[in-house]
Amino acid sequence: MREVALYLAAGVVYVAIGVAFPEFLFAWVVGVGFLLVSVVVLPALVERFRQ
Amino acid sequence: MSWAAHDLEPYVIQKELGKRIAFVPLLIGSYAPDLLSKWFVYGVSLFGVDLKADNPAQFHRGWPGAGFTHSFVFGVAIGLLLYAVWRNKVVAYSFVVGQWAHALTDTGDTVGTMLLFPFTDHLFAVGAWAYAGQTGRYVDAGAYFSGLGFVWDGVFVVWGILSWRVLTRGYFRTTVMAADPFWRWAGRYLSEATLVALYRASFFYGVARWTAWLIWAHVVRSFAFDLRWGGPRWVPRIYARDLNAAAGCRCPGCCSMRPRLGFYGAVAVCAWTKGLIASGSGRRRHARGRPRAVRSRGRPRPLSGARTRWRKSRRLPADPRAERPG
Repeated sequence: MREVALYLAAGVVYVAIGVAFPEFLFAWVVGVGFLLVSVVVLPALVERFRQ
Repeated sequence: MSWAAHDLEPYVIQKELGKRIAFVPLLIGSYAPDLLSKWFVYGVSLFGVDLKADNPAQFHRGWPGAGFTHSFVFGVAIGLLLYAVWRNKVVAYSFVVGQWAHALTDTGDTVGTMLLFPFTDHLFAVGAWAYAGQTGRYVDAGAYFSGLGFVWDGVFVVWGILSWRVLTRGYFRTTVMAADPFWRWAGRYLSEATLVALYRASFFYGVARWTAWLIWAHVVRSFAFDLRWGGPRWVPRIYARDLNAAAGCRCPGCCSMRPRLGFYGAVAVCAWTKGLIASGSGRRRHARGRPRAVRSRGRPRPLSGARTRWRKSRRLPADPRAERPG
């Protein structure tokens, strides 16, 4: 459930940025990079700081 | 053209075919037709130099141009190339399935695709939504998300969400990884969480982008909805008949057919179909266990066959021919 929430949050932020700056929506690489940062890198960093 | 369908089709196909398909070549196949041509359709600026096709629609879908990338033969040719390099049938046909899905999906707009190139450069078009690539990517986006194009993408968004099981970690581990050598290779360097995120990335990209463009086109900007066939009518659109210098007759077998190549193609398809039928009947015979015994005409039927023995045991009247003396 935590994973689904993480993806949904990433989706909402991505849509918000995309609506404000449509150029952001064109590149597939940017989308994939954004997702990796949102659901893999950031949670891993948060986990590390907590410890 | 489609804006989100090409991102989502691979997940729907993955759900239907399971371990019989490799996801990465399927996804690359789904993107392949536009991978090398789309940037030139919309144009880019490099070091102050603007690069853009003079006739974007002709370049994107026509011949001469890069329209051959939207044909069945292109998919098969790249599939054979992949097979020659990797010697893996699943990788090869997964690419072909993805590329064919893209080519078929793009027939939905008013320009369509040259599905049977090089046998014919006829553009097969359903004409449900307007092709407006020549207007630039923002107007094109506004037009696409105002006509039936976004409805078509919406079908894949809903279908993809209904296929949510293919996005689960368990499915990825048992099915996607098992069928696709790429993930096994990447698994040596990346964590499972990263692999799963990469696997889900196109789904995320497709759904999020579809939502964002829809909001942008109708909330931020005020593009008018026009869900009529071939719409929206407010955008200057291009039709299949405007490309490939097609003259009066629009049928694929007439003005645009290369007769000799078409004949060779027809022979190849007939030979392939015949081979398929022959191998199919052979498989059926094999499935029954053994080939049928052929009885010569002069030779009588055996008296104590399995059927006769069974009938006697059931005390039913036997076949009169079985009572006949030898």
